[in-house]
This record gives sequence, structure tokens and C-alpha cells, in this order.
Amino acid sequence: MSFAATGDEGARGAVYDRGYRPYDGPRGRRGAATLALYKASIRRGLGLRRAWRQKVAPFVLLAVVTIPAIVNVGIGYVTRDQAFDRIEIITYRNYVGVSSALLLFVALVAPDVICPDRRQRVLPLMFARPLIGRDYVTAKVGAIVSILFMFSFLPQVVLFVGNMLVSTNGAFDYLTENVDVLWKVPVAVLVLSLQYAVVGVAVSSLTDRRIVAGASIIGMFLVTSIAAGVIVGEDIDRSGGSLAALINVLALPLYLRDVVFLGQVDPEGSLNGTSGGGWLALAAYLVVLAAGMVVLLRRYRWVER
Amino acid sequence: MSTDVAKFDGSAGSQDPAFVADPTVTVTEVSVWFGAKVALSDLSCSFGAGVTGLLGPNGAGKTTLMRAITGMTPVNQGTVTVDGHNPRTDRRVQQRVALVPEDEAVPAGLTARQFVTYIADLHRIADRAAPERALVAVGMIDAADRPVNSFSKGMRQRTKVAAALVCDPRVLVLDEPLNGADPVQRLHLIALFKQLGAQGRTVIVSSHVLNEVERMADRVIVVIHGRLAAAGSQRAIRDAMDDRPRHVLVRGSDVRRLAGALVGLPSVSGLTFDPVRDGVVVETGQARDFAMALPELARQAAVRLTEVRALDDSLESLFRELVQ
Amino acid sequence: MRPTWQTSCVVDTEPLLRLTGLTKRYPGVTALDDLTVEVPRGLIGLVGANGAGKTTTFRLLLGLAHPTEGQIEVCGIDVAADPIGVRSRLGFMPEHDCLPLDQTAADVVSTFGELSGLPARAARQRASDILDLVGLDEARFRPIGGFSTGMRQRTKLAQALVGDPELVLLDEPTAGLDPLGREEMLALVARLGTFGISVLMATHLLDDVQQVCDHVVMIDAGRLVVSGTTDSLLERTGFVTVDVGAGGADLTAALASQSIHATWADGLVEVTIDSEVDLDVLRDVVAELRLPMYRLTSRLTSLDDVFLRRASAGAGAGTSGAAG
Repeated sequence: MSFAATGDEGARGAVYDRGYRPYDGPRGRRGAATLALYKASIRRGLGLRRAWRQKVAPFVLLAVVTIPAIVNVGIGYVTRDQAFDRIEIITYRNYVGVSSALLLFVALVAPDVICPDRRQRVLPLMFARPLIGRDYVTAKVGAIVSILFMFSFLPQVVLFVGNMLVSTNGAFDYLTENVDVLWKVPVAVLVLSLQYAVVGVAVSSLTDRRIVAGASIIGMFLVTSIAAGVIVGEDIDRSGGSLAALINVLALPLYLRDVVFLGQVDPEGSLNGTSGGGWLALAAYLVVLAAGMVVLLRRYRWVER
Repeated sequence: MSTDVAKFDGSAGSQDPAFVADPTVTVTEVSVWFGAKVALSDLSCSFGAGVTGLLGPNGAGKTTLMRAITGMTPVNQGTVTVDGHNPRTDRRVQQRVALVPEDEAVPAGLTARQFVTYIADLHRIADRAAPERALVAVGMIDAADRPVNSFSKGMRQRTKVAAALVCDPRVLVLDEPLNGADPVQRLHLIALFKQLGAQGRTVIVSSHVLNEVERMADRVIVVIHGRLAAAGSQRAIRDAMDDRPRHVLVRGSDVRRLAGALVGLPSVSGLTFDPVRDGVVVETGQARDFAMALPELARQAAVRLTEVRALDDSLESLFRELVQ
Repeated sequence: MRPTWQTSCVVDTEPLLRLTGLTKRYPGVTALDDLTVEVPRGLIGLVGANGAGKTTTFRLLLGLAHPTEGQIEVCGIDVAADPIGVRSRLGFMPEHDCLPLDQTAADVVSTFGELSGLPARAARQRASDILDLVGLDEARFRPIGGFSTGMRQRTKLAQALVGDPELVLLDEPTAGLDPLGREEMLALVARLGTFGISVLMATHLLDDVQQVCDHVVMIDAGRLVVSGTTDSLLERTGFVTVDVGAGGADLTAALASQSIHATWADGLVEVTIDSEVDLDVLRDVVAELRLPMYRLTSRLTSLDDVFLRRASAGAGAGTSGAAG
């Protein structure tokens, strides 16, 4: 609505009523909503658009996790003119590992992205929108996977590029010699991220208190790890490997990592010697993922049957 | 703005409306602060038998006052007495005072009956039938054996009122007791409170729904920013604001002609045509003079009056004026 | 205060809601029982008593629960067939706290705009517009944790509006607000009507409904009590109420001598008006007696009366049903 008035000398003026403007533009449905939730969850996990305090943990941890890469490259740089073989304090395979930093990070980020929605009762607002339980789970798990992937992959990139640059043979030669690393690392990191994300999110969804969730995540990983260690220790047969090692949820992705990098289960690891160790590890891994998803889909089933 | 709304002429028998003649609860120059925040500032008033409404914006100090009266919050300055004793320290007096707060969790797993009985036992009430009576009084007897956690908000409120009643309190203080109650439950509770007041108990009710306070309470106390802003019966407060300009809506058969005549009245300080309400709104600083002149003027102008109504008459507009 | 309902440019004959035989049973309780009603666009009040299941109703409308029997159509869409489509057209403002406390209002409303399907830029734009509308100025850049109840309610309303819904569901929008806040919220709700947005407001305060809504749906223990325009439900009785201050007794007597029946109680005179001419007689009598005419109003029924009259007799106990 606007009002125009003609003044005495024929000059015109108009008043525009701001009022309410309806929205006529494109409107997405489930896909758009899921994507929006995914992006919002990543922002939340990284502490973006919130107080500086929330950004400290993620970025400090990122720095901590990148240190081995920097040190390795540093050593390589310093010793590049020496005759002896390159000292590598860390290999790509080992770098796809579980540092306490990463564990701490999952226990921090997953609860922070999951629990407040339930505690502050935001979920009804979410499900009053074109979004169903499945979409919510997809977006949240996707966000944590993305964050974990980024945090495990960035240091690897630093390591690789660093190694390339300090390589005694020249950067390009290094690249051609290590092409397989270019696919092995992302796959292994993805396997790791997926597992920890699903477990972290599933455990967090069971409670609305972040501290409880965080402690439970750490607890769960450590307990299964220790239990597996004890059982494996008791069950000494063949070359020290045992099926019980599969209980170790913390290490499951690592067995798969070894399969990716070495083509087989680590000869020195706890799973060695069991027949079809690699396949069993994969099966156990998928079982854990499935269990996590089942938990999540039940916890976010907002439509009454 | 002046907080001295209560005007009394000092003649024998009249007194400051903030105080009642036969008080049960007396609040004298009470101040309460929490750190830097002053919740109550030098407040003095008293409460007696019957229902008194406690009004005020959120955070104005109503809850603090209620907690001070029941001894749950200490006062930093001044005194609170119930029947002459300090509710914070005197156990006998504490037995006779009950507070129904707005939000308070009930121990999980208890049914209404169990909860009320538990409270009765806590206060060592000998009468075994007291819980039953209390539940009947609030209309919860049919649901008495269902767990409180399954109740709607309104039902939970009523259960808490029953728990307060079971101790047969002399002073009953209720913070937003109608919150969450559906329209039927509300009417039931209002009737209950009036009945309790008629029994001689001192009932203090805080509420934001002013037309319900009008119905329940004989007298209101208004607290704004921790201070007493107004006190007395609603009519009396309104009359005390008599010299404030009032707006009177007049509707009739030929309002324009009537308006022409009204303009000539000395008591009329302003006049507005209101198309939405289909009448004329007269601003007057002398309500009584205007009211006296109106019928005669209408008769002379042969205009039929169909509605005469002061727009600022409600507790709502009173409240609005006091807060701003 | 109720605005005349303006239809949007496209003539909409589709009712806002069409419930056909809607029944919802839970183990042990029937929340809704064979509800059949058609509700036009506009500002609708939903009032219930006795566990009337307003929460259940909202869940059913949003497609978050399946009816045991019957059908629901919202804005012409069958909820069972396309719940996502329905939710795209709805906005929802719950009664409870539901906002993330560590984010700013601008961020939250904008994010919820994206969650409603709007592209990021449009969502930000609309969030800004809507926050203007609800009256949150600089506060919008502060974390919600520091907001007062009034500001939180407005933010809740903003997130319901940001997706440009056809219908917003409001659950007790004035709960927890002091009288001024309540007035502001009701004014805001009334404005929504002028923007072409329909509102379904569930509330226990019949006063709110009377002030703002053009249509009322009343439910008692799951059954439909009445559905009709507010105006049609409020009837004129054949009485007028007159306030002449202290002269009530004289007025009553004088009217009697003119064969007009009147009763005097509680300081007010209630006069039976058989024909409009009686109003003139009343006016003249008051003028003759030189009494001040403070008030002259037709006694209208209020929605309270309507509700009480039509809600079931068992309503007094108000104990059946836990849903709602």
C-alpha cells in the first residue's frame, strides 16, 4: 500500500507502507531443511556465530593434532641434506589414529551439537517444519562426520605437502611415488570419522546433558578398549591375536585402516591370526554403525505411531 | 510519578488503604536485596482476613514479598509479622502460613492423595480426613489416586493448593495459582479462594489476569520496582485517581449533535470521534461533574444514550497508568 | 480491538481447517472424540476444558500424530497424505521455552527460516523484517539467554512467522506475561490478521479470545461444544447496567413508578429494557433526579458465560482426562 499526494506546484510525494511483505520466492522442503540443519550444526560444532569461548576448544585441538605433522616436516627439512634415511616420526598410516586429542574432541563436539536441542526443548520447533526424524539424524551425523573428517584430514594434508616440499627427490617425484597415499588417507580418515561420529552422536542422543554424554562417550571407548585388551591378553594363542579384539570399538576403524594401507590386518596387532580377520573387522564395524543408527532413529522418532 | 495514590483525609476512622484495621500480616519498612539487585524497597503494608490481590509487573518484587511473608526469604531491613510473630523464626506461626509457589516440582511417583497426605504428615496434622477434605475442596478427588506427574499444569496447581489447605492455614499465599487452569477450573478456583477468604483466612493471591483479580479480591496491593505503588479496593483506587483525566465513551442516536452540546461543558477538556467504537470519546478532569451534566444535556438535545462507559475503568488501564 | 477480517486478493473459499470425525484415543483416555468442524480463515480461538487435548490437537494438525479415526484438512491439504506439505504452511509457537539460549535472536530466527525451506539470504532478510514486526530492536543481537519473558515470547513468535506461514499455531501466547506484555502480544496477534495470516490460538483466557478472535472453537473433554463467530456467541441480553453512584435506590424507585423494572445490587442498577424507548425514560429519570450517569452499558454475555453454560455438568470437578 502506498499513498501519493500531489502538492500545490504539482510536486509529488508518496508514503510507502512497509507493513508485511509475504514471501514469494523459492521454498525448499525436506532437502533444503536437512541441508540447512547440516550447515547450522557444523557452525555450532565449530563455535561459529557464538562467543569466542566456544571457538577455543575446536581450534586448539586442531592445532594440537597438527603438531606431529609440523614436527615431522620440520625434521625432514632440517635433515634434508644429510645422507642417512629420512627419519619419520609419523607415517600416514599411523597418523590416521586415535589421539587423545581426537577422542576428547568427539566427546566435546558431539554432545554440544546434540544435547542442547533436547535439553532446551528445541526439537518440537524442528519437527514442526518440513523435516522428519531421518532427516534430522542425517544432518547431525553428517555434520559431525564432516567436522571429524576435516580435523583428521587437514593435518594429513599438512604432512603430505610438507613432505613433498622437503623431499630429497623433489616434490613431483615424491608425489608420483606416493600416489596411493592420496586415496588411502581419505578413505581411512572417512572410515574413522564415520565410526566416531555415529557412536558419539548416538551416545549423546541418549541424554540431554552434555557432560553426561561426553563422559559416556569417553567411558564407552575406554571400557571396550580395556576389556578387549584384557581378554586378548588372556587368550594367548597363535601370534597373540584374538577375536575378542573386535570388542574394542575404539580400535575397529584402525583394523580397517590397516586393511586399506597394508592390504591386510596388521601382523603385529591384536587381531592377527584370526582367520578372515579383515572381513570380521568390517562386519563388526558395520554392526556398530547399524546399532548407532537404530538408536538414533528411535531417539528422534517424533511422529507417534 | 507519584506513588501516593492513596488519599485519605486524616479524619477519624479513615486510614491509609495500604493497611487494614485488623491485620494478620504486617509488613513494616521492609527492604530485601540480592547482591546489587534491590527486590523490595522500604515497603509497608498489611493484610487481613479476606482475599487481597497482589499485582505488579514481572520482576517487580511480588514473589519476594510473598516469600518474605511466609518466612522463606529473610529481610535485610524492616520487619514482617504474622499474628505478631516473625514467620522466619517462630515455628507455631510457620504452621499457620502456607505458600503455594508458581513452579515447584513434586516428588516423582506420588499420587495426588499421597502427596497431600505426605505434606499433612510433615506438618503432623492429626486429622486423618484432612487430605480428603482438601482434595474435595479443590475438586481433585476423582483424580486423587493418579500420579501427579501425569497431570496437566492446572491439575498440578490445584493439587498444590490442596497440599497447602490440608494444614488449615490462617494465611494462604498463592503465586499465580490459576496458571495453566482451563476456564472451568479457573472459575472453580476463584470461587474457592473467595470462600476461603470469607472463612476469615488471609488469602493473598498474585495474578497477571486482572479481570480475575477484580472478581476474587476485595482489595489489591500494587508493587512496582519493589515499592508500593497503590493500595485499596479497586474502586477506591480509581476514585483516588479522580483528578486524572478520564476518557468516557458516549454512544447514542445522534452523537454529533450531542458532541456539539458537550463541547460547551466546562468539565470537558477534549473530545474525539471514534469511528471504530461508533461514538465520541470525551476527556474530562472532573468525572462527576461531567456525569451529572450528561443526561440533562442529552435530554435537551433529544439524543438517546445507548452507552456511557469510562474507558480507563478497568484494573488494566489503572495498571498501565501506574507502570508508565 | 478485533479487526474486520480482510480476505486476501485471491478469493479463498477453502476453509482453514476441516476436521471430519476426528478421534484420538490413547490407552486409558480419549483425547478427542468424533470432532467434526469447519473453521474459516481468520483469527480463531481454541478453548478447552477437562483435558481437552489442545496439545494433541496441535500435534495432529502438524502431522506429528496419527488420528485413531477421522480426517484432517489444513488449508485444503489432507494431513495424512502430505504432512510435510502441511508443515510448510504452518508456523508453531509452543507454550514452553524452546529457544537455544546461547545464540542471538537474529541468528536463531534466521536459522529457523532456513529450516523452513527458505534460501539463506531470504531467510536472513525475513528474519530481520519479522524481528522488526515483533518489536525486537537492538536486543536481537544479544543471546536469548538474557531475554525477559516478553522478549522470549516475541522471539518465539518470530520463528513461527519467518517462514511466511498461512496459519500459525499459538499455544498460550500470553502465558507468563504481565498485563502490559499481554496487551502488546494480543495487539501483535491481531495485526497478523491484517497481514493475511490466519491464527489458531489455544488459550485458557476467554478474555483474550473475546478481545482478539473472530471465531471460537470450544472443546470439552474431547467433544466439540461449540464453533462459531465470537459475535454470534455474545448475545445482547435485555438488560442494561447503570452506575449512578450512591443514588441507586432512588433511581430504582423512580423507575418503578414509570413501570420499568430495575434491581439495585453491588452499587449498580440493572434495568430491564423492553424497548429502546425505555432508554429515553431512563435518561430522563436520571436527569430529573440530578444523579451522575457514570456508566450505561448493555449487559453482554461474556464467553465465560457461554462456556459455563455449554460445558458439561461434570466440568465442576474437572478431573477426567490427562491429555492436554
